[in-house]
Amino acid sequence: MLVLKKFAKDKPAVLGLIIVLIVIFVAIFAPLLAPYPGDVSASHLLRRLKPPTWAYPFGSDNLGRDIFSRVILGTRGALMIATTVVGLAMVIGVPLGLLGGYYIGWGSEFIMRVTDMFLAVPQLILALALAQLMTPSIESAMLALTLTYWPFFTRIVYAETRRLKNALFIDALQCMGASVPRILFLHILPNCISSIIVRATIGMGFTILMAAVLGFLGMGATPPDPDWGLAISESRQYLPDSWWFATFPGLAIFFTVLGFNMLGDGLRDIVDPRLRRSR
Amino acid sequence: MLRFILRRVLLAIPSLFGLLVLTFFLVRVVPADPATALAGENATPAQIAAIRHEYGFDQPLYKQFVVYLGQVARFDFGESAYSRRPVSLDIKQRLPATLELTITSLLLGTFLGIPLGTIAAVYHNRWPDITLRILSVAGVAIAAFWFAIELQLLFSMELDWLPLRGRLSSSMDAPPLVTGFMLIDSLLAGRWDAFTDTLHHLILPAMTLSLGGLATIARFTRAGVLETLQRDFVTYARAQGVPSRVLIWKYVLKNSIVAALTQIGLLFGGLIAGAVVVETIFDWPGIGFYTVQAILTADYKVILGVTVVIGVIYAAVNILVDLIHGLVDPRLREQL
Amino acid sequence: MTFWSKLAGAVAIAAAVSLTPQILTPYAYAAQPGTLVTGDNLPANLDPHQIFDVPMQLYSLNEYDNLYRYEGNPPELKPWLAESYTVSPDGLTYEFKLRHGAKFHDGSEITADDVVYSFKRVLALGKGPSGAFKPVLKPDNVTAPDKYTVKFVLDHAYAPFLSAVPIVMVVNQKILKAHEKNNDWGAAWLGSNGAGSGAYILDASTYRPLERVDLKQNPAHFKGWSDNPQAPKEVQIIPTRETSTRVLALLKGSVDMTDSYLPTDQVERIQKAKGVHIEKHTSMRVFVLRMNNTKPPLDNINMRKCLAHAFNYDGFITEILKGYDYDLKKAKAFCDKAKAEGAPTTRPIEIHIQSQLEQTNQAAQLLQSDLSQIGINLKIVSDTWANITTNTAKADTTPDMWVHWVSTYFVDPENWVGQMYDSQFHGTWKASSWYKNPKVDELLRKARSVTDQKERQPLYEEATRLIVADSPDIWVYNTVELRGVTDRVKDFRFSPVGSGGEMRWIKLAN
Repeated sequence: MLVLKKFAKDKPAVLGLIIVLIVIFVAIFAPLLAPYPGDVSASHLLRRLKPPTWAYPFGSDNLGRDIFSRVILGTRGALMIATTVVGLAMVIGVPLGLLGGYYIGWGSEFIMRVTDMFLAVPQLILALALAQLMTPSIESAMLALTLTYWPFFTRIVYAETRRLKNALFIDALQCMGASVPRILFLHILPNCISSIIVRATIGMGFTILMAAVLGFLGMGATPPDPDWGLAISESRQYLPDSWWFATFPGLAIFFTVLGFNMLGDGLRDIVDPRLRRSR
Repeated sequence: MLRFILRRVLLAIPSLFGLLVLTFFLVRVVPADPATALAGENATPAQIAAIRHEYGFDQPLYKQFVVYLGQVARFDFGESAYSRRPVSLDIKQRLPATLELTITSLLLGTFLGIPLGTIAAVYHNRWPDITLRILSVAGVAIAAFWFAIELQLLFSMELDWLPLRGRLSSSMDAPPLVTGFMLIDSLLAGRWDAFTDTLHHLILPAMTLSLGGLATIARFTRAGVLETLQRDFVTYARAQGVPSRVLIWKYVLKNSIVAALTQIGLLFGGLIAGAVVVETIFDWPGIGFYTVQAILTADYKVILGVTVVIGVIYAAVNILVDLIHGLVDPRLREQL
Repeated sequence: MTFWSKLAGAVAIAAAVSLTPQILTPYAYAAQPGTLVTGDNLPANLDPHQIFDVPMQLYSLNEYDNLYRYEGNPPELKPWLAESYTVSPDGLTYEFKLRHGAKFHDGSEITADDVVYSFKRVLALGKGPSGAFKPVLKPDNVTAPDKYTVKFVLDHAYAPFLSAVPIVMVVNQKILKAHEKNNDWGAAWLGSNGAGSGAYILDASTYRPLERVDLKQNPAHFKGWSDNPQAPKEVQIIPTRETSTRVLALLKGSVDMTDSYLPTDQVERIQKAKGVHIEKHTSMRVFVLRMNNTKPPLDNINMRKCLAHAFNYDGFITEILKGYDYDLKKAKAFCDKAKAEGAPTTRPIEIHIQSQLEQTNQAAQLLQSDLSQIGINLKIVSDTWANITTNTAKADTTPDMWVHWVSTYFVDPENWVGQMYDSQFHGTWKASSWYKNPKVDELLRKARSVTDQKERQPLYEEATRLIVADSPDIWVYNTVELRGVTDRVKDFRFSPVGSGGEMRWIKLAN
């Protein structure tokens, strides 16, 4: 309860939570909310590149599709990519971190060196290279982002496990003959869960940004996906006359990522007050 | 101290080695048959076999890896499949442009971020602080490529204040090549026109690129200053009547800047990755633009070369930051 | 003074210093007298014997010379390095007499040996430009009886030979031999260097692949410059990735020319602006949506017909270009037929577009949206010319579909029908539908070996009828080339061959 109270007092975090909830709501009910759900794949050449009006609040794109509908429909893709990537990265990263932290020896060394290896190159470049190797598509983009994101979870869980390993209660459990999986998953993992949640929340925002970059560079979503990054990339051909084409999908990315980041910051303040609002 | 430096450098070796393993694996092992890929159109089986032998693809993997290590050590990444030029030559020509852009952005981020962060801390929970907090969260959440396009839209297309693309106007003769940094080269040649022209071209890309770093540095400075302000020596100094601005800008800042400085190392990786996007949008002739082109055309040797070079720069910057950090805060030397 | 106000002052001063006054004045794009800047595309590398496409023509027509050259519209074959030619009555032996005293950029004279070397090099490298000669010319049959005579002996009569001769650019043998590595014919070196004799000289030191080429006028060019003293002294080719940025640069005067593939939106923008205009020329360029006829379901003729009827030709031409018939019901009927015959019509079909040419994207998206209405899933993949044309070397790496133009490289039906649908050209980008019809092959080969144009005509017509019946590709005719230029470019001389990329004819006003 104390935690909730503390959270409620943190206005930016509450705002973040509200944005995230709105985004999730929009994603779930996208086909119902979008005025022209058919505009994912339809084309209406006679009303290409029209500026915003009441009927088309965000204007229309190069194939005459309603940008407002496409921004709404794009929410689904963005959230789907982010949850998949962060989820998979957790599934890979967390167990490796637990194992690496608990055991000492060449196995643990190996895990951590592989982790370092992935962290030695900026993620975007590694993700681009991986996405290219797997022929560009939304699936390859997700896989590439997963492969570059898991080390962050491994690092966190590793550090926590190392810290807890020598704690008195773990010693006690070992003496009582508890099995290793039991110690790891029932006793150590719950203690790491808060840092994992914080990392995951921030990771959501980060992944949405990265996926948009991949889409923008032609290494992610493919037409006619209503992907935000892809829309911005397509819009470049029609600037400066059709400013609305780039502006609205960009704002959608901005607010979504902002929501996740503010929520993540708020959660971290609760989990680790020492860090305050540092990162 | 020497022992500290040595240990820090040695620690970087495994991860660099790992990087080489990773890139080797990606390029040599993952594609089904690198020889066929290299041979290109209209290659006969005999030609493919010749290439396989020439590049040593018929050797066991570990031997290939040793050869590969030797090539990397000699800065030899082979030649691009499309332009037929040595990758190392392209990288050498382009790296200065990218470094000029990233360093400018880093300086911009640092010299704006530290004062802004300090101001925010001093005016804790008042409007300068709240504004900065909102801006710094926004700065990290904004998509750089979108921001860049909006900047182009406003400053180049509508207002016509700044150039849209490139590093130097096409009507301007480039200053003689000395360092590869256009700003420095034009000054060395006494070419004031080229200097201001380059500066014009730098503004929008550097602004875009510095955004994330600026936000992060400001946040860390703010956190650091807030913490220091609560320390005893500050209370003591205040009691002694040390003027507020001397206290803050001299003593407090010095004691709180360490955390922000560490971030610079981390930021540098982000900046290089950001350069990929920013250079693409502004047609900046650097290594990021080159990487995107290579990735779009699946030019593996280029991808490999660029990844290795960026990885090495990244590692070097991190070592440097750790060393500076160790100088500033001797306690850290013990931890390593 | 409080701490805050002092700091504000400091920040303001810093801002004022960094934003010098001239930054706040409109950005000046002073065009340099005598220098022409074009924003047109560059080839993947600079070897005219490896690359054979429109961007290459822009470079090679300036850096290099050929024996004969196409000029004007409609294009006419004009003597260039050669002064004349003779052909034996059986149509097998051609002899070209070279002009005396024409010099390479290094000052050495162009001799028959250089021409022989150039043709041998084209045949040995076996890349794009070799297609027109491979069927009839063995390397050993190109000889130099004397210093100024080049002799070709063809394996059999070949009507398009003369019209194809301009494809081969003459390179400096001496320089290339000095740069050979592992018998590569200097291929690695020439990719980023020049070894020509043309009206302009490449500055290799500023060359950056796909980004920048600088050319300087060659005062010693054999044609001389007396006919056009206003020709550009310097030409810079600086492509921009996006069409819109390219057009914007033109509007601001920082480039003098765009590419010649402008979509309508951009054409209208240029027409509305001052100081720039559109060069509109009738061309023979064909716009094609390519289908890989070897990959299911596209190996099914009904499937291909279905796609051909699903393309909104009028919509594309009136709304996008403003330059088979579109009938979705018919299309659906063909698709159902294909399905009934067991074609996997539900497999997503990939269509590769050239990301820097917006029209290819628009055409693909248009087809995609119509196909989705009849249950066909088309996937658009953003790709590049360089990449696609490398992948078309093999049927299984050739994309299901891709979008491109077939421009005029030489003036003969061979440039289009011949090289696109004769199966012997499989592996080149032009023949990337991997279409094979023995009857068509036979007709095309016959048409090639007959030298009488009157006899050739019906053969090509017959072949075309058969090809249309098989519907291997989707043809969208686009015979107009639209290029934006600034008003300082006078006397833009267009030829469908090279798309007006030959700079020596341009008069540049300052």
